[in-house]
Amino acid sequence: MSGGPYNYSYIFKYIIIGDMGVGKSCLLHQFTEKKFMADCPHTIGVEFGTRIIDVCGQKIKLQIWDTAGQERFRAVTRSYYRGAAGALMVYDITRRSTYNHLSSWLTDTRNLTNPSTVIFLIGNKCDLEAQRDVTYEEASKFAEENGLMFVEASAKTGDNVEEAFLETAKKIYQSIQDGRLDLNAAESGVQHKPSTPGRNNLSSDNQGSKDNCSC
Amino acid sequence: MADILSETVAPADLKKFEQIYHEQLSSNSVTSKAQFEYAWCLVRSKYSADIRKGINLLEDLYNTNQEGHRDYLYYLALGTARLKEYSKSLNFCSAFLSVEPGNQQVLSLQQTIKKKLEKEGLKGMAMAGGLVLAVGALVGVALATKGKPSQ
Ligand SMILES: Nc1nc2c(ncn2[C@@H]2O[C@H](COP(=O)(O)OP(=O)(O)OP(=O)(O)O)[C@@H](O)[C@H]2O)c(=O)[nH]1
Ligand SMILES: [Mg+2]
Repeated sequence: MSGGPYNYSYIFKYIIIGDMGVGKSCLLHQFTEKKFMADCPHTIGVEFGTRIIDVCGQKIKLQIWDTAGQERFRAVTRSYYRGAAGALMVYDITRRSTYNHLSSWLTDTRNLTNPSTVIFLIGNKCDLEAQRDVTYEEASKFAEENGLMFVEASAKTGDNVEEAFLETAKKIYQSIQDGRLDLNAAESGVQHKPSTPGRNNLSSDNQGSKDNCSC
Repeated sequence: MADILSETVAPADLKKFEQIYHEQLSSNSVTSKAQFEYAWCLVRSKYSADIRKGINLLEDLYNTNQEGHRDYLYYLALGTARLKEYSKSLNFCSAFLSVEPGNQQVLSLQQTIKKKLEKEGLKGMAMAGGLVLAVGALVGVALATKGKPSQ
């Protein structure tokens, strides 16, 4: 699987959403650079990051749009939701208000993305156990009721950060494999980069038996 | 799907914010919010005339609205970069960083622009040379107002 013009075979579009200050930008930086920013200013509009990951032997490029949580950016940041294959929805376990707003974030996401979009809930700042304001159990129940994947994570220590981004990608990849996600749909949030020269038939690629994913 | 400089706004979104802005304009009651939202969409258009219009709206906001300065500077830097006016764009980045040094988002935009410059050669620099004065004046205003102890 080499010789093509790209060193990855898929591009997945992600968005990161949630109230201001919950740690969205820190999660992105921890994931793309393995660094924690102790003094991170509010994002202006949207930030962008990429990383190439490996899922079931496939190289996948994640294009991640980190949206600003401050109210004055909300109207326009919604225009970035369209065509997201994955949505990381973040709250801060030390601030209940950020958890209480999740249902409105979820409604927005469901309205603006497509049914195959994978939504992953992240309870961030789990290093601050002493200041915890939302229990693991109730968030976990919320996630289950709404069919979301869920972890508690810390952008500071890096706990579960990789997991959240990678599990989302795995789920998207599985949707492609079992045909739930149509690669040819305009707003699937996934681009296939054929690594062999010439035009590939994308749909026949799905049924290919060459790489049966075992995860 | 692309990077921060080549991603474009969906026409439907541009239209939506254009409509809000024009409604307010016709009743002579344009809010800085509506103007900013429209400008933010314009600088992400694939047409340079739109980007130019967005830059004008942002410059106008910059001169009339103190609180939003960091937002306006950031999108001025982005808009000018998309027009390949890299020199002008880097000046906006510097102006921002002189107030907020170490801002990761702006540093990364700055880096992206510098990479583009390297790739595309220094043509843009010479072209934008005449505009540096204008930016200098704008930045001058920012620093002057910043320096005022009481307001
Ligand atoms: N202790 C701790 N602090 C964190 C963690 N993640 C982020 N922070 C801090 O929380 C603050 C806000 O983080 P940001 O990443 O800027 O939050 P954001 O969600 O991007 O905020 P907006 O851009 O305004 O929407 C920063 O001062 C971070 O240092 C974490 O996991 N643990
Ligand atoms: Mg942020």
